[in-house]
Amino acid sequence: MHSAVVHLHGSIVRFITAETGEAVSKDPGPIVPELKELYWSFGSFVVFALLMRFFLFPKLKKGMEARYQGIQSAHAAADAERAAARAEVADYEAQLAAIKAEAAREVEAARNTLETERQAKLAEVNARLAQQRAAAAAEAQAERDAARDQIHAAVSDVAGLAGELATGRRPSPEVVTRVVSEVMAR
Amino acid sequence: MIAESFEFPEINAILRWQDIFVSFNKIALIAVAAAVIGIVVFLLAGRKDASVAPKGVRNLAEVSVEFIEDGIVMQTMGKSGLGWTPFLLSLFVFIYLCNVPGIIPLIQMPATARMAIPMFLALLVWVIYNGVGLKHQGIKYITHTIWPPGVPVALKPLVGVIEFISNIIVRPFSLTVRLFANMLAGHILLVTFALLTQALITAETMQFLLKPMAVLPFGMLVFLTAFEVLVAFLQAYIFTILTAVYIGGAAHPEH
Repeated sequence: MHSAVVHLHGSIVRFITAETGEAVSKDPGPIVPELKELYWSFGSFVVFALLMRFFLFPKLKKGMEARYQGIQSAHAAADAERAAARAEVADYEAQLAAIKAEAAREVEAARNTLETERQAKLAEVNARLAQQRAAAAAEAQAERDAARDQIHAAVSDVAGLAGELATGRRPSPEVVTRVVSEVMAR
Repeated sequence: MIAESFEFPEINAILRWQDIFVSFNKIALIAVAAAVIGIVVFLLAGRKDASVAPKGVRNLAEVSVEFIEDGIVMQTMGKSGLGWTPFLLSLFVFIYLCNVPGIIPLIQMPATARMAIPMFLALLVWVIYNGVGLKHQGIKYITHTIWPPGVPVALKPLVGVIEFISNIIVRPFSLTVRLFANMLAGHILLVTFALLTQALITAETMQFLLKPMAVLPFGMLVFLTAFEVLVAFLQAYIFTILTAVYIGGAAHPEH
């Protein structure tokens, strides 16, 4: 086939056949790399990579690391403050526990003192009451005995008089007294 | 009928672009734009106040840096590989920004669907990881690469050939083809379904049947466009993580 180059279309070379005059594509295969694409992409990437290596990435990374360090130091400070606050809380709780224990001890001691005093007062009052009760009982007994003696005397007089009236002679006072005593003892 | 009206263009018609000016075509424009966008984003990010919580462009840049550091470098190279972050970050951003135009209306061409960018990047990575290997291990890098420790003497000729082909030849080739072929396939699929939709809508016969049927390829077109968003990210990630694996392997063969 006779052919002739008619024009360059980019890198695509087109031919016209001698027989038909039709354009026949003699393009390179689709996987063949084009030189201009190679060097433009090479140039672009190399510039990008070099700028990234020496300027863009270090600047960005420096800022990131500064922020990370700031965050880490803030975390560390927060942790330290948290630990200090926890220590303070623990100290406060220890003090509170000691104070509560002291208060409980004092309350217990006061309660014991009060109980002792109460028991003492109670014993004292009970003793006084028992004493008064005994005195009252003795007094009542004495009055009862006195009343009994009076009654005994009165009854003896009446019995003696009654016997004298009945028999015409006065009974012996000892007999009357014994009889009255036996009767009253029943 | 459809076959008559549906005429798929030559493969070069959807891949090769006329020069915008001398020796500067759409692929070159996308590559330059990718670099410029990357530079501008990180330049603006660097100017923002770093002491406050990042937002906007700075947040984007910091997320990218942390993604590369935590998701790629620490996973493949460990702490000693953090010095490679700027290069890997550049690689990831550049590839991603070259992939993404494939789904941007009016541009609709991933620059990595052409051989030049994947090939040049793969060769660059090849040079770098071999250079790193030679720097860290000296001439033993070559013997370690060809004969991994513990290979019986009798197997050394066979293993040597396999490892040489695998590490020295196949790696850059696979890096190139993986990125290029994935992006090219995605681009061709989008073109195919777009053209099929157009062919059904503009069909001259049986319009009552063919026009409603256009919704099917159009639905696929929408789905594949969304899928290409994922592919654009994924291919950039795969290329970058494999680069990190190769560099890490060359620097620390015991890993």
